[in-house]
Amino acid sequence: MCATATVRCGVIFQSRRINKPKYLRKENSNMAKTKRYFDDAENNDTDSKNANNTNEVKTYHVKMKPRVKFMDKPMAGNKIKHQSKKYAGKASINPEELAKHSRGEKLEGKGVTHPLHAIKLKKKENKYKFAQEQAARAEILLTENTGFLEVDEDHRTTCITQKVIGENVDITAATKIFDLNLEFGPYRAKYSRNGRHLLIGSKRGHLAAFDWVTKKLHCEINVMESIHDISWLHVETMIAAAQKEWLHIYDNTGTELHCVKKLDKILRMEFLPYHFLLATVNEYGFMSWLDISIGEIVGHYKNNLGRTPVMTQNPYNGTICIGNSQGLVSLWAPSVKKPLAKILCHKTPLTAIAVDSRGMYMATSGVDRSMKIWDIRNLDGPLQHYKLRSSPVDLEFSQKDMLAVGLGEVVEIYGNCCTQTVDKPYMRHKMAKSICNFKFCPYEDVLGIGTSGGFSSILVPGSGEANFDAYESNPFQTKQQRKESEIKALLEKIPAELITLNPFEVVEVDVPTLKDKLEAKSKLLHVRDKKIDVKPRHKNKGKTNIARKKIIKESMRKEYINQVIEVKKVLQPKETQDMPQQSFGVLDRFIPKTKK
Amino acid sequence: MDDSDDQDFVSTEHDRLVSAITKLDKTQHINIPTRNESTNINSEFNLIKRSNKLDLNKAVKVLKDTAHHAKITKKLKGSQHKSKILPKPLEKPQAERIKRSAGYDETKEKITKWDAVVARNRTVDYVSFPLQSAIAVKEHPTKVILSNLRLKSNLEKELDEIDPPADNNEEEAEQSFPMTYEEMIEHRKQLAKLRAQQSYKAAKAKRQSKIKSKKYHRALERHTLRHKNTGKWAKNKLVRAKYDKEVRQQLAEQLSVSRGLTHKTQNQESSDDEAGDSETVSNVPLAQDPTNPWMMQNSNKSNIDEEFNFGYKKYLKEKMLRKPDGNHSDDEGQDESNFSALKESILKLGGRKLTSKIDKDNLDINNDTQIISSNSKKKFEKSKIVTATSQWIVDDVVQHNNKNTDISNVFDSLENEIVNKVEKKLNKLKADIVRLDRKPKQNNKKYTENQDHLESLTFKNKNQRPIIDEELIESNKKNITDIDLENKTLTSILQSGPEPTRPSDNIDPNTFIEVKPKYLNTALSQGENEFDDLEDDEQIVPKVDIEEVFEEDDVVASFRQEKQEEIDNDTPKEIDLNLPGWGQWGGKGVKAPKRKRNRFITKPAPKIPRRDENKGDIIINEMKMTQLANHKVSELPFPFTSVSDFEASIRLPIGNTFIPETAHKKLIRPNVITKAGSIIEPMDEEQLLVKRNQSFKNEDVIRLLAKK
Repeated sequence: MCATATVRCGVIFQSRRINKPKYLRKENSNMAKTKRYFDDAENNDTDSKNANNTNEVKTYHVKMKPRVKFMDKPMAGNKIKHQSKKYAGKASINPEELAKHSRGEKLEGKGVTHPLHAIKLKKKENKYKFAQEQAARAEILLTENTGFLEVDEDHRTTCITQKVIGENVDITAATKIFDLNLEFGPYRAKYSRNGRHLLIGSKRGHLAAFDWVTKKLHCEINVMESIHDISWLHVETMIAAAQKEWLHIYDNTGTELHCVKKLDKILRMEFLPYHFLLATVNEYGFMSWLDISIGEIVGHYKNNLGRTPVMTQNPYNGTICIGNSQGLVSLWAPSVKKPLAKILCHKTPLTAIAVDSRGMYMATSGVDRSMKIWDIRNLDGPLQHYKLRSSPVDLEFSQKDMLAVGLGEVVEIYGNCCTQTVDKPYMRHKMAKSICNFKFCPYEDVLGIGTSGGFSSILVPGSGEANFDAYESNPFQTKQQRKESEIKALLEKIPAELITLNPFEVVEVDVPTLKDKLEAKSKLLHVRDKKIDVKPRHKNKGKTNIARKKIIKESMRKEYINQVIEVKKVLQPKETQDMPQQSFGVLDRFIPKTKK
Repeated sequence: MDDSDDQDFVSTEHDRLVSAITKLDKTQHINIPTRNESTNINSEFNLIKRSNKLDLNKAVKVLKDTAHHAKITKKLKGSQHKSKILPKPLEKPQAERIKRSAGYDETKEKITKWDAVVARNRTVDYVSFPLQSAIAVKEHPTKVILSNLRLKSNLEKELDEIDPPADNNEEEAEQSFPMTYEEMIEHRKQLAKLRAQQSYKAAKAKRQSKIKSKKYHRALERHTLRHKNTGKWAKNKLVRAKYDKEVRQQLAEQLSVSRGLTHKTQNQESSDDEAGDSETVSNVPLAQDPTNPWMMQNSNKSNIDEEFNFGYKKYLKEKMLRKPDGNHSDDEGQDESNFSALKESILKLGGRKLTSKIDKDNLDINNDTQIISSNSKKKFEKSKIVTATSQWIVDDVVQHNNKNTDISNVFDSLENEIVNKVEKKLNKLKADIVRLDRKPKQNNKKYTENQDHLESLTFKNKNQRPIIDEELIESNKKNITDIDLENKTLTSILQSGPEPTRPSDNIDPNTFIEVKPKYLNTALSQGENEFDDLEDDEQIVPKVDIEEVFEEDDVVASFRQEKQEEIDNDTPKEIDLNLPGWGQWGGKGVKAPKRKRNRFITKPAPKIPRRDENKGDIIINEMKMTQLANHKVSELPFPFTSVSDFEASIRLPIGNTFIPETAHKKLIRPNVITKAGSIIEPMDEEQLLVKRNQSFKNEDVIRLLAKK
């Protein structure tokens, strides 16, 4: 089999090794081509030497002067000047990257009439531009490339098994393919936010946390109760386990820190790292958000959806997506006791929901063996509708928007299935054990699968984000860094009430209140009312594009019909006209005359 | 006696001679009268040029310095002497007021020179103290300081004694410029400013000179409307023109005359240009390089050209300019006609084409011939000019060739264009034909059915509608052509040539069209290995729709009902404060009178469109989140008067986790930076000389700060 697998594992080492040659080659070629100023200088030197060799001795008084700029005479340095002009100033920025870091429309400043403030705002605007450019320039520092699978024309990436990948990657990456055979029934697994640590919890009480890269065990206990769900908290020293009755919190040595009796019979939980909230849903449909930084419950109410064993979070805005047995997905925030939005995704009970890391797409699957992709940001869809041959057990998006679909004992991974309709999976992995859940490891090309017989880790090239931001989450974090980042994260904690569908709502002006205030002021006597333009920055353009859709559909139909007509015209030979018409004698007068 | 007589005679004779001689020069000399008497009227015969005012000094001179006259002289001189008396001093408050105002002016001048400095310091991002002065003169160049720091070796000392080092005279010599660099820049700036001002003033004067009265314009317009068909005669003719050919011709002639007239003026105006085209070459002396840009006659467009360029004239001119474009569009029209001709030819060839494919070259040749013919047609068309006011096309009396462009080039490019277009269309057609290739059998059947000509006896349909019995291709594929490609055999694709590229729309319509389920050939778990050995390309559509098995009927219905309820709750309702039966009969079926309805029932507020409107089975709750509202800004801070501006000004987070560190540092830099441990002196006048302070020119800010 002619397959080369490039798997980006061990973020720094591997991919750098692979990508280095190409990168350097480019540099070298540049070096060879471009003529540098010192090359020129050398030539000059040789010239002067030649001159010296002749009998006529010319003496030059060469003075080093910094003020080349004001020289009238063309100097030997003229060429240097020319060359430097070619590469003068900073390197140009790729407009695409610039657009990526754009923060929206510029400040027009038409409303600011005060000249001093106007000029100050203009200067501020320049700084914003600088920030944007600087961010775009910093892209060059993201040197790591994502992994990929490369196969011959005759082969498919689907055919490549873990064994083949393991044989073709380096030894560090190969160690990331492993199986844990454990006895305590179906296991659930979750990675910590930096992707370094793994937590597994089984239905029969087995709870273990370990550094899965080095395989160093932090703790392993049996809680002697069923564990329904597990979760890391903000650091890898704290673990939450939803046990038979209550929620328990352990540290990384397995010591029980808390037993939260307010949260009972929990089915599923999700940790929101920026809000320090542990969102849970229990057997009876009660939803609770526990603020783990202060130990208080910030939201607790019943969702009236019945038993909801399907739950996930939207990392874009911190809302919780819950799927019920009627195919309904609802989005929840702790501060509102009604769902923010409801989407009827399937007509049958839901089996899994997944939201991608940017909060753009949501994948849902039902018992009806179908899988749909929704535009969760605009709350629209479905964008794609797939029919599968069995109903998925679990769905999961990777950082690079690959979708893993668990079908009984098989995991299929689809690449780019949201924006376009895919035909076949990117990878397929079969196991002898039935799948319970799976998670993509952040910043690694690894998919960890919790199964009925333990845990297995497989390589999925190109699934993980290649470049990590050490301020955000650092896989190679030291203890000191962890402590520091914990404090910083606490300082930057986002209040629970800011969880809404639009996370940028907080930076918008509260226009209704502003209007009310203006109105109240205008009613006061002897107060001149301000003229304020209350039009918000973001008009919800294309809020409903149904009309547009209809028009497009109609126009497409018409276009097609026209084409058909045209072609028909061409195809229809006008034989009837050419043929001599049959005579009916007197009745001929009733034959309609055809215009020529 | 004789002597005396003789003498007299001589004298008289002499006098006569003198007078005769004097008469020779014929000018009348007015002799100064020897005597004059004081009169009120100046006689014109004895004009006195000198003033007759008595100069006392002269009179006194006459008296001379005799002791007797000394007194009189003194008296006279005393009467002549004029001495001024000092004015009475102002009153104190007035004097002080003047003093104050003068002082104010002086101080104002003194202070206003600081305005720019202050304004700049207010507007800059940050001010760092201590301030740097303008002329940061290095007392000693670094080199000197460094050389001082180095100890000289004994040998060097000795050498110095023997041969003392030469003074650095070179630098001094170099500095013997008439101006320093700064001065030079200043000078140049001033000159530039002067020039800018001058040009500005010139432009202004020019502009003002162009502004003419309405009358002038009217007259001008009238002038240009000469010989148009607006006159009485022309109007009369116009009435008859519809029926009389001769009159029509007359009118046309008239129009052409008018055009000629206007054209002439145009020619005169643009004579510089056009004459230049023909004459420049002859003007250039042969010895000189004709390509020399300085030798080329520059087009001095006179201002008159622009001045006259308005109204009807302008319209005509534009028309003339647009003419080539119009021709171009004509060409396009012809393209279409060409195309239709082509179509016909294809039609003729159709039968053959479907059975045995014609090679493209043949067709191309066909095209070429047609194109050539079309081009020749076009030549004639060019001479046609559509005038504005007349309804018909006027043929030019005198044909004038105003083709400037290289004809052969134009033809070539046009040919290419047309060939390309035709090729494209042909390709498209081919693709369509191939797609419809599947159908011909059916069509043929129809034709055979229609063979009996009885159909021609049936009544004609008034509106002929195309009957489409072609199935619409529905798929979730990107293009229809994609599907075609799938259906096509390789050979057919090869023969049909490259696919016509469809113009890419901004909106991809396929994304909006309802998604059709895509059947994925996923793996099956081991329990149900029925058709697991399927190839990946195959698609299996299960016989039983599993959805139906699990489906609960009322799910969708109940959801929609819920949505409807939500919408109903959301719509504002009218408030009814009417008390039924109050002041009138009440009961079932009794309607409140109109007066009451108007008074007690308030109309609902206009409905705000919901976000989930038209979105299908999605409910979005747009409730007001009070807790979030506490965090939001509800009042605009000072300089802002529009919400969008304010929101734009806070759009960028400034934390170093969001933006690069450099940008973060720049954004959080304090307004005032003081250097630790250094004395901060008050600003001195050297700051006025700092260039960046001098160059601060924002008048608005300066004025604003000066006002304070």
